[in-house]
Amino acid sequence: MKCLLVFVLRDKCRYLLAWFFLSLALSSAQLLLPAAFSQGPIAVRIDELIHQRADGTLSPLASDEAFLRRIYLDLVGRIPTLAETREFLTRRSPQRRAQVVDALLASDEYPLRMAQLFDVMLNERRGEHVEWRGFLRQAFKENRPWDRITREILNPDVTQNISRGAAFFYTGRLKRYGQVPADVPGLVRDIGRMFLGVDVQCAQCHDHLFIDDYAQVDYQGLLAFVGNTYIRTDHPFPAVAEKQLTEKVQFASVFDGEQKKTGPRLPGGVEFDVPKFEPGEEFLVPPDKKKKTLGVRKFSTLRILAAELPRSDNRGFARNIVNRLWWVMMGRGLVDPLDLHHPDNPPSHPELLETLTDAMIAHQFDIKWFLRELALSGTYQRSSQLPGGFSDGQILLPQSYRVALERPLSAEQLLQSTLTATGVEQSWSIDPTGAKAGQDQSTIAAKEEQQQEWIKLFQAAFANPPKEPEIEIAPSVRAALFLMNDTTFLGWFESRPGNLVHRLAALDGDRLVAEELYLTVLTRRPSTDEILEVHTYLAADPAERTKRLGYLAWALVTSTEFCVNH
Amino acid sequence: MSEDHQRLLAKYEPKEIAVITAQPQVASAHFSPCGRYLCAGGYDRRVRRWDMTTDRPRELASLGGHDGWVEAIAFHGETLYSADTWGKLAAWKYTAAAPSPVWTVAQAHEGWIRQLAVSSDGQYLASCGRDQKIQIFRADNGEPVRQWFVGQDLFCVLFHPHTGQLVSGDLHGQVNIWELGSEDPVRTVDASVLFLQHRLQDVGGVRALAFDQAGKILTIGGTKPKNGGTVQGTPTLLVVDFESGELRNTLEIGGPADCFVHMVRHHDAGFLMAVTSGTPGNGRIVFQRPADAEPFYLNKNIPNCHSLSLHPDGNQIAVAATNRGSNGNGRPLNANGDYIGNYSPIHLLAFSDVAQSEQASRPTVSKSSTS
Amino acid sequence: MAFKQEVNMTNKFRCPQQEHQISRRRWLGTTVGTTVASWGLGGLIQPSVAESLRRDHKQVLFIWIDGGMSQLESWDPKPNTEFGGPFRSIPTSLPGVYISELLPQTAQIMHKLAVVRSLCTQDNSHSAGVGRIQRGDPKDRGVTYPYFGSAVANLLGPGESALPAYVWVKPGSGGFKHQDAGFLGPQYGALAFGDGQAPSNLSRPEAFDALDDQARNRLREAANRRYAQNRRRKVTDANTYVFDTAQTLMERSDLFDQSTFTRQELQRYGEHDLGRHMLVGRRMLEAGVRFVKVNSYGWDTHGDNFNGHASLMPRFDQAFSAIVRDLSERGMLENVLVIAMSEFGRTPRINGHIGRDHWPEAWSLAMAGCGLQSGVVAGATNPLGTWVKSEEYDIGHMFHTWFHALGIDARHREYVINGQPLPIAHEDCHAIKELLI
Repeated sequence: MKCLLVFVLRDKCRYLLAWFFLSLALSSAQLLLPAAFSQGPIAVRIDELIHQRADGTLSPLASDEAFLRRIYLDLVGRIPTLAETREFLTRRSPQRRAQVVDALLASDEYPLRMAQLFDVMLNERRGEHVEWRGFLRQAFKENRPWDRITREILNPDVTQNISRGAAFFYTGRLKRYGQVPADVPGLVRDIGRMFLGVDVQCAQCHDHLFIDDYAQVDYQGLLAFVGNTYIRTDHPFPAVAEKQLTEKVQFASVFDGEQKKTGPRLPGGVEFDVPKFEPGEEFLVPPDKKKKTLGVRKFSTLRILAAELPRSDNRGFARNIVNRLWWVMMGRGLVDPLDLHHPDNPPSHPELLETLTDAMIAHQFDIKWFLRELALSGTYQRSSQLPGGFSDGQILLPQSYRVALERPLSAEQLLQSTLTATGVEQSWSIDPTGAKAGQDQSTIAAKEEQQQEWIKLFQAAFANPPKEPEIEIAPSVRAALFLMNDTTFLGWFESRPGNLVHRLAALDGDRLVAEELYLTVLTRRPSTDEILEVHTYLAADPAERTKRLGYLAWALVTSTEFCVNH
Repeated sequence: MSEDHQRLLAKYEPKEIAVITAQPQVASAHFSPCGRYLCAGGYDRRVRRWDMTTDRPRELASLGGHDGWVEAIAFHGETLYSADTWGKLAAWKYTAAAPSPVWTVAQAHEGWIRQLAVSSDGQYLASCGRDQKIQIFRADNGEPVRQWFVGQDLFCVLFHPHTGQLVSGDLHGQVNIWELGSEDPVRTVDASVLFLQHRLQDVGGVRALAFDQAGKILTIGGTKPKNGGTVQGTPTLLVVDFESGELRNTLEIGGPADCFVHMVRHHDAGFLMAVTSGTPGNGRIVFQRPADAEPFYLNKNIPNCHSLSLHPDGNQIAVAATNRGSNGNGRPLNANGDYIGNYSPIHLLAFSDVAQSEQASRPTVSKSSTS
Repeated sequence: MAFKQEVNMTNKFRCPQQEHQISRRRWLGTTVGTTVASWGLGGLIQPSVAESLRRDHKQVLFIWIDGGMSQLESWDPKPNTEFGGPFRSIPTSLPGVYISELLPQTAQIMHKLAVVRSLCTQDNSHSAGVGRIQRGDPKDRGVTYPYFGSAVANLLGPGESALPAYVWVKPGSGGFKHQDAGFLGPQYGALAFGDGQAPSNLSRPEAFDALDDQARNRLREAANRRYAQNRRRKVTDANTYVFDTAQTLMERSDLFDQSTFTRQELQRYGEHDLGRHMLVGRRMLEAGVRFVKVNSYGWDTHGDNFNGHASLMPRFDQAFSAIVRDLSERGMLENVLVIAMSEFGRTPRINGHIGRDHWPEAWSLAMAGCGLQSGVVAGATNPLGTWVKSEEYDIGHMFHTWFHALGIDARHREYVINGQPLPIAHEDCHAIKELLI
């Protein structure tokens, strides 16, 4: 007992000393912070406008460790590896945060993470398709502007190999499953939600009851664009075509029965005429049965939709992507919910939203640029710990952004982070598009198969059901049961060569174990209490040391701190 | 449109000549075998009659004494048989000025009687109901002859025009063919595409049956259901060779919003006449030959068509429908602040060549409305 | 401009997700229990509270008929009238009271029921109606009120069973429906069992014994406590709750074994979703779950209403009458409040699709058990069934009545959220005296 106490005290002293110097270094670094950001003009403006409305103290900037974890999760979809963390923490450059942002945006993993993020956001777990994933990955690899991506989705072109997979946005919704019919209303609704931030669903049968701004004609006008779209079955990849729209869409309110008509029309926009053609006159390029082409119509509603919706002068289009990317990085849309932009639901920071929208348009919908600006703002880099003087329970509205909001991790982020933490597998090591050169094909195939299995496992435990947006942190009993009892997952905490537990078992001394463990899993150094806990727990039964190391690692991976982006 | 269709259309395109308004709604409207009366069973416990020989249809005293709804009506000669949803069956001399029942059976079924049919010789009356039974009565006095317990809610019964066999259609899409002397069906036709089990609900079923004149073709009508609740489905006709039970054609005669085929008839000229009703405002009158892919006549302007009756002279049809704007979740009130119900416009339509000749001889025909 | 002022000035931030103060700390110790037996919910209900629970364990069975059951084809028939439909009414075990012929089994237990025929509520759309009814349609204060299940879970706590307080047996998929809880915080959400089935991963791998399991979870909980310091509690509380619940469920996997229902039970309840789910619901009540919601979907009969009800109602009749009988025979009805209702009734007028539309103006619900009179029909509609002719009862009246029946004083009891007192039921409404014992 005495011996143990001495050990702890000695250890504690040494640790405290180290901590003292480290803190000194950190605080001097923090003094330099305004310069440390190398903020762009938009990042500066964000902070000004957030401060203006904060109405009270703001949390200080997050530590380097917390920042590093956050930015890795956001830009490459996983926590940093131990090596990456250690390396970053040695940097003294005031530019170090900007450096890591730039490095991650330029990395091979960035398009993989963005593809995953946009897949879940746009398709809401309606299934997967390798062509769709390929389209998204390629688009983000090239940093295609959002207006172009949108055009490729809204009017997919079977002849363009690099974008044809975009048709999955349509086909995933138009596909029939058994007796479940094509979800045309869902498609119409989602075009409004995903690209304009308006949910016209309730305006399907009558003008919206609570939102004056959403009229039935908004729904019906969008329907006129896509109502004639159908799935082409003559291609192995997702593909759609449209029948000729020959007359306006007729509709009547279920309340007053008044009959109305509209041609294609964007919500709040002008109506497009529906031209009449003599039979055989509809085509610019006639269809060719031998070549299996459907021809080019003189009047194509998908073409008009793709030309008219993603325009820089369509304010709603620009605002929507700004708001959604803001939500991605900050945890809450300036307009919340994300798909209810309307005058009675104003943004929390109207001027900021307009500033960002102007900037996004001026930068031609450059997503990478925009994410960089957000990442370099003090608002993004704020700590998620409550500002001084606050205790739990006091009103601190999330839309004040006075403290960084905790955000959910998607099933995929959680998987990649768990793989990284436990050292089971190099995360993101599989890229079917061949980004990772140098691996032989059969290894890649086997690993991909393995990853797909794990992804399915994690999706079943953590993802929302199809069509339910993943916006907020939603802990579930299903997930808890998975973390406690799934045998594959638990297997990752058994000692195997190269993995975390194996490494820990080889370390000499519980302090080193604790530091390696915490830095690997939680991307931070342990507190004195935490070191003490590790030691106490391991020392209590040296015979079971390896098993206990596994439990220690399991406890951190299943903790709230690991399972959210804070 | 093909020449064939144009030729048929020239002859059989129905043109509206009058509308009778019945309030509250009626389930169906039928011309009497003599052609002089139009009789409609309604949601108000009675069978209403109109004299069709006058310039404007003139309403006569209605047949009372029923309860609930009168959905089932059948004729033979000068007798009208009516049945209600509380189980009562009655026979009437419908030509009388103030008819009283010739006979009644107070509890012919336990509850809802869905349909009646009279054998071609007029000897037997068949009925079916929600009590899962088929009953056979003597048509002249209502004495029970026999019954079958089918074990499924039954929507339709129909006698073969020549053999005396009886056909029944049920909720689960089974069509049975019965001999009056046999315990079990002699044959069964599978129409289960017209049925769907959705959540707690049995959806669809056989809603219409018809023979062609020769009795060789049996047409089965209903919907291919998509879902329960607000039932949606594609109105569908199954054209079956009666002898072999072989399915010859499946005709989908509308979109999912059109939902049910409520009545189908074979016209002697070889085409089917069917009416559909679905999501309020949707309904169709469809004339189509069984082997054709498209109808030669399609009317989408009359909402919610519930019945179709061909006048014995072969020149006119009556289609009972529902008024526009019949639905909505709000409170529909009239000027007095009273809650308003719906009504049934009964559309009288004459075939093209007849309408034209009538137009020439009787230019003053106007839409009439009585209620 | 100051942030808070703008909120008050315009009240345009709908339902702000404010931080909440109430936590389950009242029910759960802040340190972890030591014995396996008390492991379940952390196991640390304060002794005095536990005692009062034992004395008086009131429960709720909430049967939610989603989409809108027709009052005219159920509790308030108007046979032989313009809007009465085709069906007859039948006498019940309560002299002089008639209900639809589609409820023959229920008619025999009418003397155990309390029916209200004078509901007049506010909302005629599903999207708003389901929420407004289940939240009791409180006055809009810019906060999201909890569903009734979450409210009861909060006000009465989970009880001794250590099972989740609010369980939802529903067709389709299951999961944790934290949205139901509104401002009470996610831990008061519903735990939904899709098709009444056990969630996956319910059993602990053989490699772990109970002590191992306890040890690793202690480490996890300690980590969570450290993380929660200086942070909003919401996320950690919710996370703690789901892990606690998961652990309790692991010990009660027997609740999900539908193979142990007897043939006879299945026949009595009905061999369909609602019958089976009601049996699962009965088991949950017997196990001590505070609030059990059993859900049936597909009642939105805008089309083919009468054939629809002819098919739906007998299945409801069977399952509903069976569980009321069973609870009664087992002596449980005294402490179990049974409620069967939809978000609204259906229009008197019959549309062209032979359907009835949404009708919040004059409709009915049925109840039985805990704190209620048995064999009572409150309120009445006019002869055509179009309007309520007695005092109109809104859902707020029902919330007052239910809370009263459960021994909760809705006139004085309040939620306190961010220091703001919030009434638990609409303050313009009152309990319906004639329904209460």
